[in-house]
Amino acid sequence: MALNWEVVWEYRAALADGLKLTLDLSAWSLVGSLALGTLVGCLGALPGYFTRRLVAAYVELLRNLPVVVKLFFLYFAVGLDAMAAGYLALITHQSAYVADVIASGFRSVPREQSEAALVLGHSRFQVFRHVLLPQVFRLVLPPLTNQFIEVVKNSAIVMLVGVQELTFQAQNIESETFRGFEAASVATACYVLIALAIAGGMALLQRRLRLA
Amino acid sequence: MRDAGLSERHKAILWWAGLLATLAGVAWLCRDFRWPVVWQSAPFLLRGLGISWLLTLVSVGIGMVAGIALAAARLAAPPGLRHLAVGYVELLRAVPQLMVIFWVFFTWPAMTGQALSAWAAAIASLSMIAAAYLAEVVRAGLQSVPRVQVESGLVTGLSHGTIFLRVVLPQALRNMLPALVAHIVMMFKITSLVYVIGLIDFFRAIILVNNRDFAPYALYTTMAAGYFLCCYALSWLVRRLDPKYSLTT
Repeated sequence: MALNWEVVWEYRAALADGLKLTLDLSAWSLVGSLALGTLVGCLGALPGYFTRRLVAAYVELLRNLPVVVKLFFLYFAVGLDAMAAGYLALITHQSAYVADVIASGFRSVPREQSEAALVLGHSRFQVFRHVLLPQVFRLVLPPLTNQFIEVVKNSAIVMLVGVQELTFQAQNIESETFRGFEAASVATACYVLIALAIAGGMALLQRRLRLA
Repeated sequence: MRDAGLSERHKAILWWAGLLATLAGVAWLCRDFRWPVVWQSAPFLLRGLGISWLLTLVSVGIGMVAGIALAAARLAAPPGLRHLAVGYVELLRAVPQLMVIFWVFFTWPAMTGQALSAWAAAIASLSMIAAAYLAEVVRAGLQSVPRVQVESGLVTGLSHGTIFLRVVLPQALRNMLPALVAHIVMMFKITSLVYVIGLIDFFRAIILVNNRDFAPYALYTTMAAGYFLCCYALSWLVRRLDPKYSLTT
């Protein structure tokens, strides 16, 4: 079949708007899930029995539900508007994974290190800040890279409640002009570039930290 | 929360009691939802749930075979083929699943002029996604088998094919079992997306019943509970198989 890339040029404004919305959704959901997930993950690393069980329950509940189910529940049953439901679904979904990454990061630092630091007279906060945090931060970077890419991928589902992000625009071009291949290629290329940018950025960060 | 010197057992009892009380409280809050709608449509909804499971298992089956081929290509094929395998895996893992479904259901027919049925499109797109993720699972499994095993096989005079199929693969499959089940959970969650191409899986079944009877609270709660129970059962199985396995991939 003959390709017609002019369609992409004609719809450049729509595609750019979609890309901007995708970046917007991804960026804020990424920040939100990182903040919420780190908070929950740190709680999960505390010694108390009940906090540990509560955090585990939070992770299990949110991780065993598809993002679309969360999105539709928030949009149709709770009645939030599309963008709010999208942000909340993306943030809560990924926060469970981030919390698990952070909590297992804390668990993988040998307990003896904190005990030794406590014995030497450091406060709990000092142990957390100077012994645990630097190690955990390095440990969690590779798994977090995957989680960040997941956020971008999951942001596509928000089109199902009518948010006009990148995948929505690609599908819209297909339904208006039957030029699905060209539109899908551009959208796919955008997603790949975003994933590469995240992976590259995180790799750079890892290299910088290893030198430090 | 500080534990006031309770024994592990007492704490566990207290935890489960609290959890049950919370669940009972939630159930009490939901008592006025229009549950009869759910009961009346139960056969239809269960059929949808069955289709979700069927799609999951078929796509994991096809994806596993393709994943083994991709992993073998990534580990042992000549450069051209190897780069192709790496490219496929990385591409499919970087692109939204909806985009993959979109490619298979809208773009492929437009290019070839042949329409795909919803079933074919759903199974094709889900299998493509499963293949990419399972290729990485298989690769980790294959790499977990010590190199010595291959060398011993070669010394004994076995061919490369025999060594791969009879020595390495069986051990690799056993090592990757927890990861495989974890990815079945992932695929089960992804099947909820094929409703966009019109297949009546659990997700679409709920939406259809809601369009007819409008009982969003009862129906969407049922949807969440259905997906949660299925995924949780599988996650539980993963932990039984390997308590140390991380479900966060």
